[in-house]
Amino acid sequence: MRHTRTLLVVAAATTLGLTACAPGGGGDDAADEDGPIKVGIIADLTGATGDVGTPYAAGEEAYVDWLNDNGGIDGREIDATVTDYAYDVPTAERVYKEYVNDGVVAVMGWGTGDSEALKSRVSADELPFMSASYAEPLTDPEEAPYNFVVAPTYSDQARVGLNWIAEDGKSSEVALFHNDSPFGLAPVADAQEWAADLDLNVEPYPMPAGSTNYTGLLSQAKKQGAKYIMIQNVSSPAALVAKDIKAQGLDMQIVCLNWCADELFIDTAGAEAAEGHVLVQPFAPVSAEQPGHEDVNAYLEENGSSLEKEGLHFAQGWYTMHAMAEGIRAAVEEGDLSGAGIKEALETMGAIDTGGVVGAGEIEFSADSHRGSTGTGIYKVEGGEMAPVELGVTP
Amino acid sequence: MAAISTGVYFRTYQRELALRHTKAQYVRLALIAVAAIAAPYLLDPYQLSILNTVLIAVVGAVGLNILVGFTGQISLGQGGFLAVGAFTSGLLTMRADLPAPLSIACAVVVTAAAGALFGLPALRLKGLYLAIATLASQEIIVFIARRWSFLREESGAPLGIERLQVGGYEITREFFEFQWYWILLACAVVAVLAARNLFRTGLGRSFMAVRDQDIAAAAIGVNVTRTKVIAFAVSSGFVGLAGALTAHYSETVTWESFTFEISILYLAMIIVGGLGSVAGAVYGAFFITLLPVFLNEFIGGVGEQVPWLVSRLPAIENAVFGLVIIAFLLVEPRGLDRIWQRIKDYVRFWPFRY
Repeated sequence: MRHTRTLLVVAAATTLGLTACAPGGGGDDAADEDGPIKVGIIADLTGATGDVGTPYAAGEEAYVDWLNDNGGIDGREIDATVTDYAYDVPTAERVYKEYVNDGVVAVMGWGTGDSEALKSRVSADELPFMSASYAEPLTDPEEAPYNFVVAPTYSDQARVGLNWIAEDGKSSEVALFHNDSPFGLAPVADAQEWAADLDLNVEPYPMPAGSTNYTGLLSQAKKQGAKYIMIQNVSSPAALVAKDIKAQGLDMQIVCLNWCADELFIDTAGAEAAEGHVLVQPFAPVSAEQPGHEDVNAYLEENGSSLEKEGLHFAQGWYTMHAMAEGIRAAVEEGDLSGAGIKEALETMGAIDTGGVVGAGEIEFSADSHRGSTGTGIYKVEGGEMAPVELGVTP
Repeated sequence: MAAISTGVYFRTYQRELALRHTKAQYVRLALIAVAAIAAPYLLDPYQLSILNTVLIAVVGAVGLNILVGFTGQISLGQGGFLAVGAFTSGLLTMRADLPAPLSIACAVVVTAAAGALFGLPALRLKGLYLAIATLASQEIIVFIARRWSFLREESGAPLGIERLQVGGYEITREFFEFQWYWILLACAVVAVLAARNLFRTGLGRSFMAVRDQDIAAAAIGVNVTRTKVIAFAVSSGFVGLAGALTAHYSETVTWESFTFEISILYLAMIIVGGLGSVAGAVYGAFFITLLPVFLNEFIGGVGEQVPWLVSRLPAIENAVFGLVIIAFLLVEPRGLDRIWQRIKDYVRFWPFRY
């Protein structure tokens, strides 16, 4: 027994001693130098949400390129590294650690699962984190002090969609088809709660991944008596649902939220199958011709492309990166380019102008709320285009 | 033991039962110890974080090898048991305010119990049928983790876990990987030693007897039913430890970290490392965890010349992963452990073949 105790004491003393002479932690030296400002981008280019993840990441990269060509931030370039994590949470965790070690000052993420999984690490490491996940828990500074959400949350989008359904009033039954992941599940409980106040009934249906048709789900929704199919998924599966509705001649109206409310949905489903469906989209589509599109379009045309070709998710990536870059710029001006410095800058700098592209046009954070915007647009597919029904709608 | 035993004589039973018999084995052990102590001083925090992931994988792979390699009970449910360990430890720490070491110990016990429960079909099923039954356990556990809101924060976000704190000892941001390294190294060493010693006990021998021929094992007095259930419990206990460590190390518990792919990954570790060998599980854990990292580094290095490689990295990772498993099954089904044995034999007997 005494032997064991001695061993324990020696082990504890050794650990303490080793810690005392430990090598330095992850370098955030880049923040203090005059060299490039490092930012890490965790992107889904080939995973389950790669169809919309690819233009989004391209938008982020393009913004960095454009900013560097225009003098960077206080003469310093942004050095952004993009890594494809294929929508796999353990890979995202590995990539994140690599970025921390490289001394990035901020991280741009992608999905809900990985953003939520990294939330505690991000906060402990004091690294501002903006992702393409608009899950509501990420907007609460008490729970996720270093996460910033630039657009209305999925829950807000669902609320706006449900308000529209209640007004449209064809039926009180709503089927909520969702991706079977934290991203898909994010607005479900909030939507059900909101629906109860509107005398609507929302039934959630997880969409099996990789399915080639959704006739089974649609027949369940039909049994429920649903005239509205709200979809919280990416464009490709949502387009399949639209095709199946058309093929079966069902009297059902799709209400797509964010990641399926885009041109890709219309292109994949075909203008005929997509016709008349409603899209809740906080980021202005190209057809809305907002002033904020001009810089993006000019950059793309210079590089032999166009915003029409790249789609709204490109602009979404561009302006999310813009919001972070503005935070970095404000932090540089304050002379504190640390994670905590950028966080404080984002919370206190006031509105970030996005030329009408994001939400109601501006993104603004405060120390009490990291929900950058609450306004979203409602569009209807008309003749293969996203025709505005109402803009800047809040729940 | 292979040919290295030749010419080694024992004068006492204790000596024969010793884990190491030759001086070379002691020298190698000393070298490994020196490398393990030097590693955190030589590696940068990112490299150390990879090593930490490997150490967790070592614990899990040793656990799985006890079941698959030593008892012959195939399991595709590793991810599920990792989840049981992670959620148990996470919940006990965050909701019941239990100190982390205690909640980790509880996670080991709970996962062992869950393993024994899901191992019950093993009493009737073998081979492919058992594999499907364990796959069902994986799906059931992950399904519960996905749907049961009690396993998440009130806001719906995954369960967050506070930075590890034991008594006055706290993990700091600056030394995060460094401090975790010692904790994980200690756990991995304990797991390896426990497994090595397990197979010198009657219970361990009965595991192997059931694996080699269960009818013969029953004939010599092994209680096959009890042995199989205990094998599931013991194996799952190790896996529960790996799960609990994952939870505290990554500071969050989400079912997305414990999918079916993780089960396959662990199975690959023990196939590549060597079924039925504790050292093999360690080699396999290193190999499979480091494979995507090195591939990433390699493709990152040649990416400028061959940009299409970079854009297809995850697909290439999967392809290489599949090829490695096929290559091992074809060329050396007994894995890296057997390759290492053969190298040692070659050196020992050179220039003679036998």
